[in-house]
Amino acid sequence: MTTGSVPLKVTIVEDDASFRSSFVAAVEAAEDMVLHAAAENVAQAMALLAGAPADILVVDLGLPDGSGIEVIRAAHGAWPECGIMVSTTFADDRHVIPSIEAGAAGYLLKDSSASRMADDIRTLHSGGSPISPRIARKILLRFRPVEAPAQPLLSPREKQALELITKGFSYDEIAELMGVTRNTVMTFVRRIYQKLEVSSKAEAIFEARSHGLL
Amino acid sequence: MAFYKLLARYLTALGIIIAIAVVLHLVAQPSGLHITEAELSVESTVGYQAPPATLVYRAMPEDWSHVALPNAAIPRLALSQHDSAAAPDTQLTWYRVVLPQAVSPADKGYLYIPRWKSDGTIAVYVNGALQYQSHANLQWNGSNRPLRIAFDVTEGAAPINAIVIRLQHLRGIGGALSSLWVGNFDEVGPAYMVRNLFQAELSYLTSAAFLASGVFSLLVWFRRRQERLYLLFFLMSAATFIRGLHNHLGLEQLPLSDAWFGWLTVNSTMWMVALSHLFLITVLHLRASWITTIVGGATLVLGLVTLPLFEGALDPTLTAPFAYAAAFVVCNLVGISAIRAAWRRQSMEGLVLAVWVLLTAYLGINDLMLQNNLISIEGYFILPFVQIALVFAFFHTVLAHYLKAVDEVERSNIVLAERLQAREAELVASHERVREIEQRELLHHERQRLTEDMHDGLGSSLLGALRMVERGRLDEAELTQILQGCIDDLKLTIDSMEPVETDLLLLLGTLRFRLQPRLESTGIKLHWDVHDVPPLVWLDQRHALHILRVLQEAFTNIIKHADATEATVSTSVVGGDIVIGVSDNGKGFDPAAPRSGRGLANQARRASAIKARLTVESGPEGTRLTLLLPIEQRAEGMAAVG
Repeated sequence: MTTGSVPLKVTIVEDDASFRSSFVAAVEAAEDMVLHAAAENVAQAMALLAGAPADILVVDLGLPDGSGIEVIRAAHGAWPECGIMVSTTFADDRHVIPSIEAGAAGYLLKDSSASRMADDIRTLHSGGSPISPRIARKILLRFRPVEAPAQPLLSPREKQALELITKGFSYDEIAELMGVTRNTVMTFVRRIYQKLEVSSKAEAIFEARSHGLL
Repeated sequence: MAFYKLLARYLTALGIIIAIAVVLHLVAQPSGLHITEAELSVESTVGYQAPPATLVYRAMPEDWSHVALPNAAIPRLALSQHDSAAAPDTQLTWYRVVLPQAVSPADKGYLYIPRWKSDGTIAVYVNGALQYQSHANLQWNGSNRPLRIAFDVTEGAAPINAIVIRLQHLRGIGGALSSLWVGNFDEVGPAYMVRNLFQAELSYLTSAAFLASGVFSLLVWFRRRQERLYLLFFLMSAATFIRGLHNHLGLEQLPLSDAWFGWLTVNSTMWMVALSHLFLITVLHLRASWITTIVGGATLVLGLVTLPLFEGALDPTLTAPFAYAAAFVVCNLVGISAIRAAWRRQSMEGLVLAVWVLLTAYLGINDLMLQNNLISIEGYFILPFVQIALVFAFFHTVLAHYLKAVDEVERSNIVLAERLQAREAELVASHERVREIEQRELLHHERQRLTEDMHDGLGSSLLGALRMVERGRLDEAELTQILQGCIDDLKLTIDSMEPVETDLLLLLGTLRFRLQPRLESTGIKLHWDVHDVPPLVWLDQRHALHILRVLQEAFTNIIKHADATEATVSTSVVGGDIVIGVSDNGKGFDPAAPRSGRGLANQARRASAIKARLTVESGPEGTRLTLLLPIEQRAEGMAAVG
């Protein structure tokens, strides 16, 4: 725990009042966190981004006036030091992968307990990122060498870690199997997320070029 | 009707061409000094002698008779051969003209002779000195070309007062002279050019042009041998070209002997008749008949008896009038029979062609008479033009034939393309239908699967919770657990909507990912002892959900009832099966008990739905569930033995 140091400033963008209040409650219950701000929609969130940056931003995707993806993308630019998480009920790849591509570094499961949520926030802030087997699988497919050019490739170790994740192994088990520390595994995953974001940008540029937009 | 319109157009064009020719001829009438009288003297000779350079020292014949120009003797039609080909019986014909008044060569510099006929040589003397002589073959010597002789214009040249023309030719034929013109260039130049155009150049140009189209036709025939018309047209154009040669050649010595050139010229007429016949019967779709035999026979006989290879062969030049008469008769036969056939077959095209062939024969009478000095030799030979027109008529027929074929190809291509398109559209439609059916089936299956799943899982869990809440027998912790179970159910349902692509470990990994928080919250340590297994090609979403549900039930039992501290999930391959094991170190249960019995029955039903085998062993040391999935799913009774 980071007791004694500066508490984490947490911001939430969520239109569902009940989840918002239980999330706020979870943050307030944690000694090392403080609620920085709360927004209900894209407009409010965008306004927040003009202000002082938070340490952690939790964004729901289905907002009444637009997609949370816009907020994630804007926040990634406005608050580069901020850890962005997408809040999701099912952590399904259809929601999570676009979020990571937009700049999110992890996700928060909405049905988690208050303490679990706080744990996940802390883990993210200290550099860890969760990843489900299905998302790992999707990323592996995305980085097949035959895919679009001009994108970063996964290192063999990163690839190995991803493959173990698809088989259901936990970070601890992977660390043991690969003979590294749990932190190293988390670093792998974080780097993979970054590559996914870069790759999505490279792909966008590639698409734009081939459509004559650039 | 299109045919008559076309015919009218052709006839109009023909009329215009003739009108232009007549106008040209009239506009280009010569003027100047017109000489229509001369004195004539004839000497018999043997062989050909060179003309003297001047007449001054030569003893000229004594008896001169006064004649009008044009002057021509009626030729003797004789098949008699000369005693010697080297020294035939010949004749010298002298024409002497004294001008009414002397003309200065600077003033009137040209002598224009519209036509001269010699079948021999010509020499022209002015004031007694040789001014011009022919340098060509003796017989085929360009006598069809008009002569325009320029007088020598020298300083102090004496005025011209006498012109003498010396013709040396075979005795009995040839030897004729048109009237003469003396004038300056403007007076006789245009007339000479127009006459030269009509007598020589035009025939040459048109026959060469049609020979070129004949070559094209021949090339078409090389590729389409069954289409005889193309070959016939080529042969016709070639025969016409050969026939036309004597109209314009002959100013220079020919590379051929007179005999061979004569053979070609005379015989080509017959070839044209024969080819016309073949062309007509092809156009009219007639079979060869007795007429074909006659035409072929006549062509062959004429060709052979005049062939200059053999000693004693008939001289083609001498036999020409007979050959032309024979051609006339055969042409009549060909034309009339074709007209009858065309009439019977209602073939307008064939009829016009046949009439034209027949007409050619009759128009040829003019030329035959001109050739034999029976009419004024200052007239024109019209057969060259009629023959060209005939070739044009043939050309039109072949062209129409060719264009029709091209059109047909185009039309059949269009039809083919249309058919292809229709076929494609049909295919696309049927493909679309199949896809639609597949889609509908897929949707139906998916709906059925989800309905079943909701019914067995989420539905019954929620229903159970509702009953207990109603009876007030549910505390908050229990309610949380039930709702959590429902959410887990829902998550697995959602997971099962994504394809797993034959990857069983991914399926198990997903299950762990979903259940991990609950295992952690109950403090059970999970050993993940999975090993790589071969891909399951039969693993679709429906099957995947069954496997997930069987294993989920096992975990739920461990979490809820087993009081276990550790659980293990393992995979291995035994024989043709993939073995999934879920075991715990809990207290075990009695499989026969009603509550656990229902759960087990559910698991067994799902297992059998995917042709998997399920065993559950339970004892005081714990419980072990084993699920055997066949790697290859085959039809019943086909499972591999050993």
